[in-house]
This record gives sequence, structure tokens and C-alpha cells, in this order.
Amino acid sequence: MSSIVPLMGIETEYGIIREDVETSDPVEESMALLQRCESPSVFRVWAYKHENSHLDLRGFNVPSLAQDEEEDEFCAEDRKRPYSYWEMKCDRVLENGARFYNDHTHPEYTTPECNSVFQLVAHDVAGERIVAKCARLRNQDLGQNAVQVFKNNTDYSGHSYGTHDNFLIPRKLPFENWVKGLAPFLVTRQLYAGAGKVGSENRKGPSHTGLQLSQRADFIETVLSIETMTQRPIINTRDEPHASPQKYRRLHLILGDANMSPYQTALRVGSTRLVLTLIGEEKFVNPVDLDDPVADVKRVSRDKTGKVLLKQTTGKTITALEIQRVYLDRVEEHFLGQCKETDWIIHEWRRTLTELERSPEKLTDRIDWAIKEQLLAEFMAAEKLDWDDPWLKSLDLEYHNLDPERGLYRGLEQEGSVLRLFPEEEVTQAITQPPEGTRAMIRGLMVQYEKHNIKNVHWTGVEFKKGPALDLSEVVTPADVEQMLNSKKEQFAWI
Amino acid sequence: MDMNDPLRREEKRESTPDREDAGPSRPDVSRPGREGILKRMKKVDPKQSEKYKQRTGQ
Repeated sequence: MSSIVPLMGIETEYGIIREDVETSDPVEESMALLQRCESPSVFRVWAYKHENSHLDLRGFNVPSLAQDEEEDEFCAEDRKRPYSYWEMKCDRVLENGARFYNDHTHPEYTTPECNSVFQLVAHDVAGERIVAKCARLRNQDLGQNAVQVFKNNTDYSGHSYGTHDNFLIPRKLPFENWVKGLAPFLVTRQLYAGAGKVGSENRKGPSHTGLQLSQRADFIETVLSIETMTQRPIINTRDEPHASPQKYRRLHLILGDANMSPYQTALRVGSTRLVLTLIGEEKFVNPVDLDDPVADVKRVSRDKTGKVLLKQTTGKTITALEIQRVYLDRVEEHFLGQCKETDWIIHEWRRTLTELERSPEKLTDRIDWAIKEQLLAEFMAAEKLDWDDPWLKSLDLEYHNLDPERGLYRGLEQEGSVLRLFPEEEVTQAITQPPEGTRAMIRGLMVQYEKHNIKNVHWTGVEFKKGPALDLSEVVTPADVEQMLNSKKEQFAWI
Repeated sequence: MDMNDPLRREEKRESTPDREDAGPSRPDVSRPGREGILKRMKKVDPKQSEKYKQRTGQ
């Protein structure tokens, strides 16, 4: 286990639409979906008092967070709805330690905190299953397959919603070190982390015809920002550690895509964790310094070869592939042989970069953008379409549909055309069981055994109607978890 | 983009624009066993993405 990044989690905002009505209302549909959840859980007891999204990692507070005018108007309408804030949020904490709620009109599944990459990916996929089951139950109520849910990041009309990767990292290292070391890696990570998108939505820059690597690249507007709904950054500066603020930061990365391929999620999160470990252990000196990283996010997204030249502040150029290899070489030098999981990540990272360069067709069973490109090319050839045809965007969207009867990725899984990362039993287990050795395990156990006694719950603790509260803010390692459980045997007889 | 990088230009002259260096190649559309997924694709409403309106999230 990495001591630099002891815990990780993924937040996924899902797209939702109801097809049997003229205008689908995402607030109503998200609420109805959440209400239909049958997973054992506690409902509407999330402790918002522990949240502060206005504190910036650079050491200041912002008075408010921004959103665009259209969203301002929507929010004004929301205030007229006959529901309280709590009713609209529909917060659930599940028996596996996950949070499932309505965030900015999108059903959001946040995995429990995990301490291994494969554990995290299993929980991310478990989230897909839980959300899809809610949609199925909702459709049973409606008597037709009207509600559809998508694990993607865009509506192709300029509205984006996020997939946020979270890494608990030490506070002691200056934030600037993380930014300097991480930015070039994140700019180029989309080579193997992109979900692929037909066309572009960048109103300020040139349009793009065809498939680009990333769904989210068009929406990245700055290097650093606390904002998440406008002025989206390469590195988000929200300072909500959800752990001891003296010891930890939570790196909240909002620039990534939602991946349908679990292999790709593992590579995305795994490579990022190793790069963070490199930076945290101060083993990464003289990182590449890109001259215009924000523009480079878009340049890299629009070049599927990885060979687009990016200008450095030195005046020299470097390709996206070369930047990735700089990071990979250092990671391999320092961490190869540490554990099976690390070796898998290093090996697959190397293999993916090599295959992207020499034989990209080999990526068409495991990297979303490559799978999607091949699929769309086949369809275009069969139907004699070109990239401007609107049908292509609809097919792109349908790739991300969670409905097993309709989703294109689901269809590829059923026909065995895409790589399976682990046995189905591991996903089934993650639907009901919290990750071993994490504070999420304590949270999950509390939901399983103390459901009716829970007054409120948060990432950092649980308060009870009867009995002292649990403070989880210092519970980070498996040893901490064991110690906490051992110390609570008197309070909870079932431990 | 500024291409003022002599070493880079030298490297580029030496590279051979063969198939391996040309980026993603067009997939083999004659790949067998794809009827099921192509049939599923054919059922997708061509206007689905136009109807798919979401609100901005995070």
C-alpha cells in the first residue's frame, strides 16, 4: 500500500434522461431514481455541516462559487419546487460505504474510500450496477423503458458533468510541488484515459471533426481553480481533505473522463497514484514545464497518435508520448517490484504507450476512445456515413448507456469483444461489501448494523441517536481501522 | 504552434512515414462476429444526442 496516497475514491455524475416526455426534468428524474434504490442504506442523513467547498488549497476562502447564467436561471426555478434541499439531494449512504445522491441534477455515485486500485475499480463498476438497477426499477414503475442513464461527461451541447478522482495526499509537501510535478502528466494522460468524443464543444476555439480522445478536454479552461462548474481547471484547488486537515490534502482531480472500460479506469487511477507517490517521495526532479498547458489539453485530445508537439517554457518541444514516458521511466525506476498491483500498472502503462505508437489497433479491446473509434468506423463504412452525420454523436452517447439491452459498451461486453479486468464475483461483492481495511469498512458496517441508530454520517465520522460519535478523520491505514474497531467493542456488541 | 526546435526537425526528417508511424489505422471492417453490435447500433435513434439535454454538473 502506498503511504503517500493511502486512500482513493471516484465520484461519478451520471447523465439521465426520460424519453417518454417532451421535456425531461433532471431534478425530478434524479430524485425518482434515488428514491427507487433498494440497496440497504441510510437515507437523507448526510452531515453537510462538515463540508466547506469555498476553502482554497492556496490558502484563502472564496465568497461564492460560480456557475453560468443558464444554470443561475435553472437554480432560481429549482427554488420554486415543492421540495426542501434535503429532499432534492436524496442522500444515501450504502452498506458498502459508498455515497449515492443527487448532485447538481445528476445522480452521483461516490465509491467508498479504497486503498488499492483494483479494489477501487471494482467499486466503480459496482456503482454502475447499482445505478443501472435503480433505472430498471424506475422503469418497472413507469411500465416502459423510458429512463436511461449514461456514464459519460457531456450532452454534446456544451453541458458537462464530472468524473472526479480523489487522492488523499500528505499536507506537508507544498501544494506548488504537486502542481508542478503533476500538470504535464495530467495534460497527456488522456492518451490512455480518454473516453473519446465525436466532435467538439469548445465555443472559444477551433471546432473539431471526428473523434477526439477526451470528453472533458473542451471544458478545461485554466491550470488552477477552485471552480468546478465553470473555469474548470487541470488541477482543482478545493481544500476539503475529508480527513485530518493538519496531516492531509485531498487532491480532487476533475479533468478526467468516465471510463466504461474497467481496465482503463485502473490505468487512469493507477498511473496517477504512482506519479503522486513519485512527487510525494520527492523522487521527481526537473519535470517538463509546458508553455501553455491549457491549450495543450485540447491539442493532445485532438491528436490520436500522441505525437503532437507541445512547447516547453525552454522553447523546445516534446510530444505527449514522450512526456508520458518520462513519468513512466521514473516510476519504473523507483517502484517496479514493490507489489503485484504496482507491477501490473507499470507493465500495462508501458504496453499501452508502445501499442499506441506502433499498433494502435491493439487498443480496441480496452481503451474507450480506441474501441469507440473502431466501432464507429465499422458503422460509418456499413452505412456510408461521414463524421459530420449527427447519428455518430448519438452512437457515441449510446456507448455509455448503462442499459444492458441498449448500451453499446454493454453489447461489446456481452459478445466478449472487450477485456474483462476481474471476475464478476468481485463486482458482486463490492455492491454489498465495503473495502477491507479502510474507514469505509467502518461506515459500511455501521449502515449494516446500526442503520436505525444513525443520526448523521459523513466521510469523517458517524453520529448516533444513542451513544458517542465515531471520529474517522484520523482513521487512514488498515491498522487504524483495526484499532478503531477494537476500541469500540463495548459500544457495538456485534463487532 | 512554434516549431523552433532544430533537434526535433532533424528527428522528423529521419523518421519514415511507414504504417507503424502513421497513427491509428482504419479498422478491419470485415471483422467477423460483429453483426449483433452493428444491429444494436442501427437501432439507435440518429437524433438521440440532439434530444439529450443535461444541466451543467461539476
